[in-house]
Formats: sequence, C-alpha cells, structure tokens
Amino acid sequence: MTEEEIRKENEIVELSRRDPRAFAALYEKYFDRIYYYILRQTDDEDTAGDLCSQTFVNVLNHLSTYEFRGLPFSAWLYKIASNEVNKFYRKKKGTMIFSIEEKKVRELVERSDPDGQGTWDEEIMQRLLHYLKDLPTDLLQVLELRFFEDKDFKEIAFILDMTESGAKMRTYRALDKLRKNFNLKVKYDE
Amino acid sequence: MSKHDIRLRRQKFMARGPDRFRDYSAVLERHGKEMRIKKVVRVFTYLFIILIIVMMIVIVVRVEKKVEKKKSSSAFFQDDKKLVEVSV
Repeated sequence: MTEEEIRKENEIVELSRRDPRAFAALYEKYFDRIYYYILRQTDDEDTAGDLCSQTFVNVLNHLSTYEFRGLPFSAWLYKIASNEVNKFYRKKKGTMIFSIEEKKVRELVERSDPDGQGTWDEEIMQRLLHYLKDLPTDLLQVLELRFFEDKDFKEIAFILDMTESGAKMRTYRALDKLRKNFNLKVKYDE
Repeated sequence: MSKHDIRLRRQKFMARGPDRFRDYSAVLERHGKEMRIKKVVRVFTYLFIILIIVMMIVIVVRVEKKVEKKKSSSAFFQDDKKLVEVSV
C-alpha cells in the first residue's frame, strides 16, 4: 500500500469521525477481507458474518480513539476483528479453529519448492496439518497473517499486540521447524 | 496440548459468501443505537455519582449537627451542676 493511499484512507477516517456515513467507502473496501479473515478462524459463515458486522460497529463506536501510526487503516480493523474472534472463543469456551484452504497451502508449497523435488501427496498434507495443529496458537496466528493475509511484521506486531522483533522471531521459529520437518524453503520475508 | 484445531478446506470459499452479510445501513443503525445507550449509561453514571456526593454531604452535615447538639447539651448540664453546687 502506497503512502498516498494510506493518507487518503486517513482523510476518510477523519471525515467519518464527524459523519459516520463517510465510512461506507472503507466498509466496502475491507468488508470481504475482514469477513474471510474471521471465517478462517471460525469456519462458520453465519458466525463470521455476525462477528464481521460487530467488528465494524466497534470500529465506528471507537473511531474517536483511533490514532494514526503510519500503518494502513486495515491494521486497526484486523486488530479489532482479532479481538472479536478471541472474545467469541472466550465466551464459547471452545477450541479455536483455523480453516485453511488446500489451494493456498499448495500455492505456498509450490512457491517454496519450485523444482518440485518434494512429492506432495495426501500423506504429507496430513503430516503438515498435524504439524500446524501442534504449533502454539500465537505462532499460528503470526503465520496466518504473514502468509495468508500478506501482512508485514510491523502490521502483525500491531494486530497481535506484540513487538516487531517478537513477530519476526515467531515466524522464524515456525518456518525453521517447517524447513526441518518438510524440507521446505519458505522464505522468512517472502 | 494445542488449543486450536486445523481444518482443511477442499473447496474455495464461496465467492458470494460475504454479500449476504454486507449491510452498511444496518451497521450504522446499530452504531447509533449503541451510542445512544452509551450516552444514557454515562448520564446515569454521572447522576449516580452526584447522588452519592449529595448523600455524603447530607450525612456529614447531620453528624456535625448531632455532635454540636451533644456538645451544647452537655455544656448546659455542666452549667446546671455548677449552679446546684453553688446553691448548696
């Protein structure tokens, strides 16, 4: 995202503080991304729809407290969405779900193994899922934002309330295990 | 023990999935309603705080009056005693 786009978004936010109707442009722009982000963590379309709407209501309710920190506005949206998802699981007292598209995983694998040396059959896919299940949840959240949402470390740090070096370290740890167990060369800063 | 579950989606998420939840006017309405509730709660909180302060002032004034009354009545009693002693 260019600085010009970030500045324009910030202008809409400023306008929305006075007139919430102006926020419609950002709502249309980010609704799908936030919806799918929540859907990947709930695996239920109705729940994702409810939590997504609640996220935007919360955004409007707290727009007066938003501080521009040089990050895209979407980082704040993801942060609120992430809090909504955590609140949902706390209330439900259930296990957090990460729903991953097979196509996305295959893409990631192909990118990291362009020569196609590794044979990626169903068994290895199951092993990979098992590996992801054993990862600590916070590590998986970092990986999801990095490789499925294409967020940079600064944004990840802001969304998950951690330091930038913490986000980098977690990604590195997860990828290191992936390299050792599956002979994948997923680039840390890809 | 992991605190999450991994599910593999074989199909892509439905392209029109989010469209049935996209409704900005409903979001605006909910925002307006929540802000009104927030305002009412804030007004009631302020009123409650004011009520407590007023009650505390009333209690302090009453206690002070009682203490003053006691003081003055015990002074009269002492004066009476003195008078009696003088007359004997």
